[in-house]
Amino acid sequence: MSLQKKPDLKDPVLRAKLAKGMGHNYYGEPAWPNDLLYTFPVCILGTIGCLVGLAVLEPTMFGEPANPFATPLEILPEWYFFPVFQILRVIPNKLLGVVLMAGVPAGLLTVPFIESINKFQNPFRRPVAMTVFLIGTVVAVWLGIGATLPIDTSLTLGFF
Amino acid sequence: YPIFAQQNYASPREATGRIVCANCHLAKKPVDIEVPQAVLPDTVFEAVVKIPYDTQVQQVLGNGKKGPLNVGAVLILPEGFKLAPQDRIPEEMKSKISNLYFQPYNAANENILVIGPIPGDKNREIVFPILSPDPAKDKGTYFIKYPISVGANRGRGQVYPDGSKSNNTVYNASVSGTITDIIKEKKAYKISIETKDGTVVDTVPVGPELIVAKGDTVVTGQPITDNPNVGGFGQMDTEVVLQNPVRIKWLIAFLILSTLGQVFLVLKKKQFERVQIAESNF
Repeated sequence: MSLQKKPDLKDPVLRAKLAKGMGHNYYGEPAWPNDLLYTFPVCILGTIGCLVGLAVLEPTMFGEPANPFATPLEILPEWYFFPVFQILRVIPNKLLGVVLMAGVPAGLLTVPFIESINKFQNPFRRPVAMTVFLIGTVVAVWLGIGATLPIDTSLTLGFF
Repeated sequence: YPIFAQQNYASPREATGRIVCANCHLAKKPVDIEVPQAVLPDTVFEAVVKIPYDTQVQQVLGNGKKGPLNVGAVLILPEGFKLAPQDRIPEEMKSKISNLYFQPYNAANENILVIGPIPGDKNREIVFPILSPDPAKDKGTYFIKYPISVGANRGRGQVYPDGSKSNNTVYNASVSGTITDIIKEKKAYKISIETKDGTVVDTVPVGPELIVAKGDTVVTGQPITDNPNVGGFGQMDTEVVLQNPVRIKWLIAFLILSTLGQVFLVLKKKQFERVQIAESNF
Protein backbone atom coordinates (compact mmCIF):
# COMPACT_ATOMS: atom_id res chain seq x y z
CA MET A 1 0.00 0.00 0.00
CA SER A 2 1.30 3.38 -0.93
CA LEU A 3 1.66 6.33 1.39
CA GLN A 4 -1.74 7.64 2.50
CA LYS A 5 -2.64 10.98 4.02
CA LYS A 6 -5.48 10.80 6.57
CA PRO A 7 -8.41 13.22 6.27
CA ASP A 8 -8.27 16.06 8.81
CA LEU A 9 -11.81 15.79 10.14
CA LYS A 10 -11.29 18.77 12.44
CA ASP A 11 -11.10 21.05 9.42
CA PRO A 12 -14.59 22.63 9.01
CA VAL A 13 -13.93 23.41 5.34
CA LEU A 14 -13.23 19.74 4.58
CA ARG A 15 -16.24 18.60 6.63
CA ALA A 16 -18.50 20.97 4.71
CA LYS A 17 -17.16 19.64 1.42
CA LEU A 18 -17.48 16.00 2.48
CA ALA A 19 -21.10 16.66 3.49
CA LYS A 20 -21.77 17.69 -0.11
CA GLY A 21 -20.06 14.59 -1.47
CA MET A 22 -16.93 16.49 -2.48
CA GLY A 23 -13.43 17.10 -1.06
CA HIS A 24 -12.07 13.61 -1.63
CA ASN A 25 -8.86 15.14 -3.00
CA TYR A 26 -7.96 16.39 0.51
CA TYR A 27 -6.79 12.98 1.71
CA GLY A 28 -5.35 9.73 0.37
CA GLU A 29 -2.23 9.44 -1.75
CA PRO A 30 -0.72 12.83 -2.63
CA ALA A 31 -1.00 13.54 -6.35
CA TRP A 32 2.34 15.31 -6.55
CA PRO A 33 4.89 13.87 -6.71
CA ASN A 34 3.84 10.33 -5.69
CA ASP A 35 1.26 9.74 -8.41
CA LEU A 36 2.03 12.25 -11.16
CA LEU A 37 5.82 11.99 -11.16
CA TYR A 38 6.31 8.27 -10.49
CA THR A 39 3.18 6.24 -11.32
CA PHE A 40 1.99 8.09 -14.42
CA PRO A 41 5.22 7.45 -16.38
CA VAL A 42 4.90 3.74 -15.56
CA CYS A 43 1.51 3.67 -17.28
CA ILE A 44 2.71 5.90 -20.12
CA LEU A 45 5.71 3.65 -20.78
CA GLY A 46 3.51 0.55 -20.66
CA THR A 47 1.09 2.07 -23.19
CA ILE A 48 3.92 3.12 -25.50
CA GLY A 49 5.42 -0.37 -25.23
CA CYS A 50 2.11 -1.99 -26.23
CA LEU A 51 1.63 0.39 -29.16
CA VAL A 52 5.18 -0.02 -30.47
CA GLY A 53 4.88 -3.79 -30.13
CA LEU A 54 1.64 -3.82 -32.11
CA ALA A 55 3.06 -1.48 -34.74
CA VAL A 56 6.07 -3.75 -35.28
CA LEU A 57 4.42 -7.17 -34.96
CA GLU A 58 0.99 -6.49 -36.44
CA PRO A 59 1.26 -3.58 -38.89
CA THR A 60 -1.91 -2.33 -40.56
CA MET A 61 -2.45 -3.85 -43.98
CA PHE A 62 -2.81 -1.71 -47.07
CA GLY A 63 -6.30 -2.14 -48.44
CA GLU A 64 -7.04 -2.85 -52.05
CA PRO A 65 -7.30 0.15 -54.36
CA ALA A 66 -10.89 1.39 -54.45
CA ASN A 67 -12.81 0.46 -57.58
CA PRO A 68 -16.27 1.98 -57.95
CA PHE A 69 -17.18 -0.57 -60.63
CA ALA A 70 -16.42 -3.66 -58.54
CA THR A 71 -18.25 -4.08 -55.26
CA PRO A 72 -16.30 -6.43 -52.99
CA LEU A 73 -17.98 -9.75 -52.20
CA GLU A 74 -18.30 -8.87 -48.54
CA ILE A 75 -19.07 -5.31 -47.65
CA LEU A 76 -18.67 -4.13 -44.07
CA PRO A 77 -18.63 -0.64 -42.59
CA GLU A 78 -16.24 0.52 -39.87
CA TRP A 79 -16.49 -1.71 -36.80
CA TYR A 80 -18.45 0.78 -34.70
CA PHE A 81 -21.24 0.70 -37.28
CA PHE A 82 -21.54 -3.11 -37.21
CA PRO A 83 -24.69 -3.28 -34.99
CA VAL A 84 -26.56 -0.63 -36.99
CA PHE A 85 -25.43 -2.23 -40.26
CA GLN A 86 -26.80 -5.53 -38.98
CA ILE A 87 -30.18 -3.92 -38.19
CA LEU A 88 -30.34 -2.57 -41.74
CA ARG A 89 -29.27 -5.92 -43.16
CA VAL A 90 -31.64 -8.32 -41.39
CA ILE A 91 -34.81 -6.22 -41.44
CA PRO A 92 -36.60 -7.04 -44.67
CA ASN A 93 -38.40 -3.70 -44.92
CA LYS A 94 -35.81 -1.05 -45.86
CA LEU A 95 -37.90 1.86 -44.55
CA LEU A 96 -38.34 0.14 -41.19
CA GLY A 97 -34.59 -0.56 -41.16
CA VAL A 98 -33.76 3.09 -41.74
CA VAL A 99 -36.26 4.18 -39.08
CA LEU A 100 -34.76 1.76 -36.55
CA MET A 101 -31.29 2.96 -37.51
CA ALA A 102 -32.30 6.55 -36.86
CA GLY A 103 -33.97 5.38 -33.66
CA VAL A 104 -30.61 4.59 -32.06
CA PRO A 105 -29.36 8.21 -31.83
CA ALA A 106 -32.93 9.42 -31.29
CA GLY A 107 -33.25 7.13 -28.26
CA LEU A 108 -29.89 8.26 -26.92
CA LEU A 109 -31.03 11.91 -27.22
CA THR A 110 -33.85 11.27 -24.74
CA VAL A 111 -31.48 9.94 -22.06
CA PRO A 112 -30.50 13.34 -20.55
CA PHE A 113 -34.16 14.24 -20.15
CA ILE A 114 -35.38 11.06 -18.49
CA GLU A 115 -32.32 9.97 -16.51
CA SER A 116 -33.02 12.51 -13.73
CA ILE A 117 -36.26 10.70 -12.81
CA ASN A 118 -34.12 8.63 -10.45
CA LYS A 119 -32.01 10.92 -8.24
CA PHE A 120 -29.40 8.30 -7.32
CA GLN A 121 -26.05 8.02 -9.04
CA ASN A 122 -25.17 4.59 -7.68
CA PRO A 123 -25.79 2.04 -10.48
CA PHE A 124 -27.20 -0.46 -7.97
CA ARG A 125 -29.89 2.11 -7.07
CA ARG A 126 -30.87 2.57 -10.71
CA PRO A 127 -32.20 -0.89 -11.58
CA VAL A 128 -34.28 0.18 -14.59
CA ALA A 129 -31.54 2.26 -16.18
CA MET A 130 -28.94 -0.44 -15.54
CA THR A 131 -31.17 -3.17 -17.01
CA VAL A 132 -31.79 -1.11 -20.13
CA PHE A 133 -28.08 -0.33 -20.42
CA LEU A 134 -26.95 -3.94 -19.99
CA ILE A 135 -29.54 -5.35 -22.38
CA GLY A 136 -28.60 -2.65 -24.90
CA THR A 137 -24.93 -3.55 -24.60
CA VAL A 138 -25.58 -7.28 -25.04
CA VAL A 139 -27.83 -6.64 -28.04
CA ALA A 140 -25.26 -4.30 -29.62
CA VAL A 141 -22.48 -6.89 -29.20
CA TRP A 142 -24.76 -9.63 -30.54
CA LEU A 143 -25.73 -7.58 -33.59
CA GLY A 144 -22.13 -6.48 -34.07
CA ILE A 145 -20.80 -10.04 -34.15
CA GLY A 146 -23.69 -11.06 -36.39
CA ALA A 147 -22.79 -8.38 -38.92
CA THR A 148 -19.50 -10.16 -39.66
CA LEU A 149 -21.16 -13.54 -40.29
CA PRO A 150 -23.03 -14.73 -43.39
CA ILE A 151 -26.64 -13.60 -43.38
CA ASP A 152 -28.13 -17.05 -42.72
CA THR A 153 -26.19 -17.54 -39.48
CA SER A 154 -26.02 -13.91 -38.45
CA LEU A 155 -28.89 -13.94 -35.94
CA THR A 156 -28.10 -17.28 -34.32
CA LEU A 157 -24.31 -16.70 -34.57
CA GLY A 158 -24.13 -20.24 -35.91
CA PHE A 159 -24.82 -21.82 -32.50
CA PHE A 160 -28.20 -23.35 -33.35
CA TYR B 1 -10.22 -27.92 -63.89
CA PRO B 2 -7.59 -25.28 -63.05
CA ILE B 3 -6.54 -25.38 -66.70
CA PHE B 4 -9.88 -23.85 -67.70
CA ALA B 5 -9.23 -20.86 -65.45
CA GLN B 6 -5.65 -20.57 -66.69
CA GLN B 7 -6.87 -20.53 -70.29
CA ASN B 8 -9.66 -18.04 -69.78
CA TYR B 9 -8.54 -15.55 -67.13
CA ALA B 10 -5.29 -13.56 -66.86
CA SER B 11 -5.74 -13.42 -63.10
CA PRO B 12 -7.79 -15.88 -61.05
CA ARG B 13 -9.03 -13.13 -58.74
CA GLU B 14 -11.67 -10.79 -60.07
CA ALA B 15 -11.82 -7.14 -59.02
CA THR B 16 -14.61 -8.00 -56.59
CA GLY B 17 -12.37 -10.46 -54.76
CA ARG B 18 -14.19 -13.46 -56.22
CA ILE B 19 -12.00 -16.29 -57.41
CA VAL B 20 -12.90 -17.42 -60.91
CA CYS B 21 -13.21 -21.13 -59.99
CA ALA B 22 -16.59 -20.17 -58.53
CA ASN B 23 -17.82 -19.50 -62.08
CA CYS B 24 -17.93 -23.24 -62.80
CA HIS B 25 -17.96 -24.77 -59.31
CA LEU B 26 -21.27 -23.30 -58.28
CA ALA B 27 -21.84 -24.85 -54.85
CA LYS B 28 -20.32 -23.14 -51.85
CA LYS B 29 -18.43 -25.21 -49.28
CA PRO B 30 -16.05 -24.17 -46.51
CA VAL B 31 -12.26 -24.08 -46.85
CA ASP B 32 -9.59 -23.03 -44.43
CA ILE B 33 -6.01 -21.83 -44.68
CA GLU B 34 -3.28 -21.70 -42.07
CA VAL B 35 -0.24 -19.51 -42.55
CA PRO B 36 2.25 -18.22 -39.97
CA GLN B 37 1.43 -14.86 -38.40
CA ALA B 38 4.77 -13.51 -39.61
CA VAL B 39 7.64 -14.77 -41.75
CA LEU B 40 11.23 -13.64 -42.06
CA PRO B 41 12.61 -12.62 -45.47
CA ASP B 42 14.03 -15.30 -47.79
CA THR B 43 12.57 -18.11 -45.67
CA VAL B 44 10.63 -21.22 -46.64
CA PHE B 45 7.33 -21.56 -44.81
CA GLU B 46 4.22 -23.63 -45.32
CA ALA B 47 0.66 -22.58 -46.08
CA VAL B 48 -1.79 -25.35 -45.22
CA VAL B 49 -5.02 -25.37 -47.19
CA LYS B 50 -7.78 -27.49 -45.66
CA ILE B 51 -10.60 -28.80 -47.83
CA PRO B 52 -12.92 -30.68 -45.49
CA TYR B 53 -15.46 -33.13 -46.89
CA ASP B 54 -16.86 -36.54 -46.09
CA THR B 55 -14.72 -39.14 -47.90
CA GLN B 56 -17.61 -41.63 -47.84
CA VAL B 57 -19.49 -39.47 -50.32
CA GLN B 58 -19.12 -40.26 -54.01
CA GLN B 59 -19.70 -38.00 -56.96
CA VAL B 60 -20.94 -38.49 -60.49
CA LEU B 61 -18.09 -38.94 -62.95
CA GLY B 62 -18.01 -37.84 -66.54
CA ASN B 63 -19.28 -41.23 -67.74
CA GLY B 64 -22.22 -41.17 -65.34
CA LYS B 65 -20.73 -43.68 -62.89
CA LYS B 66 -19.95 -42.89 -59.26
CA GLY B 67 -16.42 -42.24 -58.05
CA PRO B 68 -14.33 -40.49 -55.41
CA LEU B 69 -13.94 -36.73 -55.29
CA ASN B 70 -10.89 -34.83 -56.45
CA VAL B 71 -9.64 -31.63 -54.88
CA GLY B 72 -7.78 -28.62 -56.18
CA ALA B 73 -6.68 -25.25 -54.92
CA VAL B 74 -5.39 -21.88 -56.03
CA LEU B 75 -3.24 -19.83 -53.67
CA ILE B 76 -2.89 -16.14 -54.49
CA LEU B 77 0.22 -14.88 -52.75
CA PRO B 78 1.44 -11.29 -52.69
CA GLU B 79 3.89 -10.18 -55.38
CA GLY B 80 7.36 -11.51 -54.66
CA PHE B 81 6.28 -14.63 -52.79
CA LYS B 82 6.76 -17.80 -54.81
CA LEU B 83 6.90 -21.57 -54.70
CA ALA B 84 9.94 -22.75 -52.73
CA PRO B 85 12.58 -24.41 -54.93
CA GLN B 86 13.11 -28.11 -54.23
CA ASP B 87 16.60 -27.67 -52.72
CA ARG B 88 15.34 -25.10 -50.18
CA ILE B 89 12.52 -27.24 -48.77
CA PRO B 90 13.51 -28.93 -45.47
CA GLU B 91 13.14 -32.71 -45.29
CA GLU B 92 10.36 -32.52 -42.71
CA MET B 93 8.23 -30.37 -44.98
CA LYS B 94 9.02 -32.56 -47.99
CA SER B 95 7.39 -35.56 -46.32
CA LYS B 96 4.18 -33.58 -45.84
CA ILE B 97 4.14 -32.41 -49.44
CA SER B 98 4.88 -35.94 -50.78
CA ASN B 99 4.70 -35.88 -54.56
CA LEU B 100 2.27 -33.05 -55.13
CA TYR B 101 2.98 -30.94 -58.18
CA PHE B 102 2.35 -27.23 -57.78
CA GLN B 103 2.53 -24.94 -60.76
CA PRO B 104 2.46 -21.17 -61.19
CA TYR B 105 -0.84 -19.88 -62.58
CA ASN B 106 0.92 -18.46 -65.64
CA ALA B 107 4.30 -17.11 -66.67
CA ALA B 108 3.44 -13.58 -65.60
CA ASN B 109 2.16 -14.57 -62.15
CA GLU B 110 4.79 -16.58 -60.31
CA ASN B 111 3.08 -15.61 -57.05
CA ILE B 112 -0.14 -17.46 -57.88
CA LEU B 113 0.06 -21.20 -57.32
CA VAL B 114 -2.32 -23.82 -58.66
CA ILE B 115 -2.73 -27.47 -57.84
CA GLY B 116 -5.23 -30.04 -58.94
CA PRO B 117 -7.14 -32.05 -59.65
CA ILE B 118 -5.60 -34.50 -57.18
CA PRO B 119 -7.29 -37.39 -55.30
CA GLY B 120 -9.14 -35.91 -52.36
CA ASP B 121 -9.04 -38.78 -49.88
CA LYS B 122 -5.33 -38.27 -49.14
CA ASN B 123 -5.13 -34.55 -49.84
CA ARG B 124 -7.79 -32.89 -47.77
CA GLU B 125 -4.87 -30.90 -46.34
CA ILE B 126 -2.55 -29.49 -49.00
CA VAL B 127 0.77 -28.06 -47.81
CA PHE B 128 2.16 -25.35 -50.07
CA PRO B 129 5.90 -24.72 -49.61
CA ILE B 130 6.43 -20.99 -50.06
CA LEU B 131 9.56 -18.86 -50.24
CA SER B 132 9.22 -15.36 -48.84
CA PRO B 133 10.94 -12.48 -50.68
CA ASP B 134 13.85 -10.45 -49.35
CA PRO B 135 13.14 -6.70 -49.65
CA ALA B 136 16.90 -6.09 -49.77
CA LYS B 137 17.10 -7.97 -53.07
CA ASP B 138 13.58 -8.14 -54.49
CA LYS B 139 12.32 -4.77 -55.67
CA GLY B 140 8.74 -3.93 -54.85
CA THR B 141 8.58 -5.96 -51.66
CA TYR B 142 8.54 -4.30 -48.25
CA PHE B 143 8.34 -5.29 -44.61
CA ILE B 144 4.58 -4.91 -44.32
CA LYS B 145 1.51 -7.05 -43.86
CA TYR B 146 0.34 -8.80 -47.01
CA PRO B 147 -3.02 -10.35 -47.94
CA ILE B 148 -3.23 -13.98 -49.09
CA SER B 149 -6.31 -15.39 -50.82
CA VAL B 150 -7.05 -19.03 -51.27
CA GLY B 151 -9.70 -20.77 -53.29
CA ALA B 152 -10.16 -24.51 -52.94
CA ASN B 153 -12.58 -26.96 -54.45
CA ARG B 154 -13.71 -30.53 -54.09
CA GLY B 155 -15.69 -32.34 -56.72
CA ARG B 156 -16.46 -31.66 -60.36
CA GLY B 157 -17.76 -28.43 -61.82
CA GLN B 158 -21.31 -27.71 -62.90
CA VAL B 159 -20.67 -25.77 -66.08
CA TYR B 160 -17.85 -25.61 -68.59
CA PRO B 161 -16.15 -22.32 -69.49
CA ASP B 162 -18.24 -22.13 -72.67
CA GLY B 163 -21.40 -22.14 -70.54
CA SER B 164 -22.58 -25.67 -71.29
CA LYS B 165 -23.67 -27.81 -68.38
CA SER B 166 -21.69 -30.79 -67.12
CA ASN B 167 -23.46 -33.95 -66.03
CA ASN B 168 -22.93 -32.95 -62.38
CA THR B 169 -25.76 -30.47 -62.06
CA VAL B 170 -29.54 -29.99 -62.20
CA TYR B 171 -31.29 -30.08 -65.57
CA ASN B 172 -34.44 -28.09 -66.12
CA ALA B 173 -37.29 -28.44 -68.57
CA SER B 174 -36.70 -26.18 -71.55
CA VAL B 175 -40.42 -25.75 -72.32
CA SER B 176 -43.81 -26.20 -70.69
CA GLY B 177 -45.77 -29.26 -71.70
CA THR B 178 -46.40 -32.92 -71.08
CA ILE B 179 -43.69 -35.54 -71.12
CA THR B 180 -44.67 -38.04 -73.77
CA ASP B 181 -41.60 -40.22 -73.88
CA ILE B 182 -38.32 -40.89 -72.07
CA ILE B 183 -35.73 -42.87 -74.00
CA LYS B 184 -32.56 -44.01 -72.28
CA GLU B 185 -29.65 -44.00 -74.66
CA LYS B 186 -26.11 -45.06 -73.89
CA LYS B 187 -24.92 -41.69 -72.64
CA ALA B 188 -28.08 -39.63 -72.27
CA TYR B 189 -31.82 -39.56 -71.72
CA LYS B 190 -33.95 -38.14 -74.48
CA ILE B 191 -37.05 -36.59 -72.95
CA SER B 192 -39.81 -35.63 -75.35
CA ILE B 193 -42.03 -32.84 -74.12
CA GLU B 194 -45.21 -32.19 -76.06
CA THR B 195 -46.25 -28.56 -76.21
CA LYS B 196 -48.95 -26.70 -78.05
CA ASP B 197 -46.49 -25.93 -80.84
CA GLY B 198 -45.07 -29.41 -81.28
CA THR B 199 -42.70 -31.78 -79.52
CA VAL B 200 -39.39 -30.66 -78.03
CA VAL B 201 -36.69 -33.16 -77.08
CA ASP B 202 -34.59 -32.37 -73.99
CA THR B 203 -31.31 -34.22 -73.62
CA VAL B 204 -30.08 -35.07 -70.13
CA PRO B 205 -26.72 -36.83 -69.90
CA VAL B 206 -26.38 -39.80 -67.57
CA GLY B 207 -25.41 -38.78 -64.06
CA PRO B 208 -28.24 -36.82 -62.49
CA GLU B 209 -31.31 -38.94 -61.58
CA LEU B 210 -34.53 -38.12 -63.38
CA ILE B 211 -37.35 -37.04 -61.06
CA VAL B 212 -40.05 -36.94 -63.72
CA ALA B 213 -41.85 -39.79 -65.41
CA LYS B 214 -43.77 -40.29 -68.60
CA GLY B 215 -47.07 -38.43 -68.51
CA ASP B 216 -45.94 -35.73 -66.08
CA THR B 217 -46.67 -32.09 -66.82
CA VAL B 218 -43.74 -29.72 -66.54
CA VAL B 219 -43.36 -25.97 -66.80
CA THR B 220 -40.38 -24.09 -68.23
CA GLY B 221 -37.46 -24.08 -65.83
CA GLN B 222 -38.84 -26.82 -63.63
CA PRO B 223 -36.06 -29.17 -62.50
CA ILE B 224 -36.45 -32.57 -64.13
CA THR B 225 -33.47 -34.15 -62.36
CA ASP B 226 -32.10 -34.16 -58.84
CA ASN B 227 -28.88 -32.31 -58.05
CA PRO B 228 -26.07 -34.87 -58.02
CA ASN B 229 -23.41 -32.37 -56.97
CA VAL B 230 -21.76 -33.22 -53.64
CA GLY B 231 -18.72 -30.97 -53.98
CA GLY B 232 -18.24 -27.26 -53.79
CA PHE B 233 -15.85 -24.37 -53.89
CA GLY B 234 -14.82 -22.02 -51.11
CA GLN B 235 -12.51 -19.10 -50.77
CA MET B 236 -10.89 -17.36 -47.86
CA ASP B 237 -8.57 -14.44 -47.19
CA THR B 238 -5.84 -14.32 -44.61
CA GLU B 239 -2.77 -12.22 -43.99
CA VAL B 240 0.91 -12.65 -43.28
CA VAL B 241 3.48 -10.15 -42.01
CA LEU B 242 6.85 -10.04 -43.75
CA GLN B 243 8.92 -9.29 -40.66
CA ASN B 244 12.27 -7.56 -40.49
CA PRO B 245 14.54 -9.36 -37.97
CA VAL B 246 16.33 -6.08 -37.15
CA ARG B 247 13.04 -4.54 -36.07
CA ILE B 248 12.40 -7.45 -33.70
CA LYS B 249 15.80 -6.99 -32.05
CA TRP B 250 15.19 -3.28 -31.56
CA LEU B 251 11.71 -3.96 -30.25
CA ILE B 252 13.00 -6.42 -27.65
CA ALA B 253 15.72 -3.96 -26.62
CA PHE B 254 13.16 -1.17 -26.30
CA LEU B 255 10.72 -3.30 -24.28
CA ILE B 256 13.47 -4.39 -21.89
CA LEU B 257 14.53 -0.78 -21.47
CA SER B 258 11.01 0.49 -20.82
CA THR B 259 10.33 -2.32 -18.32
CA LEU B 260 13.54 -1.41 -16.50
CA GLY B 261 12.42 2.22 -16.53
CA GLN B 262 9.09 1.24 -14.96
CA VAL B 263 10.81 -0.82 -12.25
CA PHE B 264 13.15 2.04 -11.39
CA LEU B 265 10.28 4.54 -11.25
CA VAL B 266 8.46 2.36 -8.74
CA LEU B 267 11.64 1.88 -6.70
CA LYS B 268 12.27 5.64 -6.72
CA LYS B 269 8.72 6.23 -5.54
CA LYS B 270 9.11 3.78 -2.66
CA GLN B 271 12.36 5.48 -1.68
CA PHE B 272 10.77 8.93 -1.82
CA GLU B 273 7.81 7.77 0.29
CA ARG B 274 10.26 6.82 3.04
CA VAL B 275 11.68 10.37 2.86
CA GLN B 276 8.17 11.82 3.05
CA ILE B 277 7.32 9.73 6.12
CA ALA B 278 10.65 10.57 7.80
CA GLU B 279 10.13 14.29 7.24
CA SER B 280 6.33 14.12 7.85
CA ASN B 281 6.02 16.23 4.74
CA PHE B 282 2.95 15.18 2.72
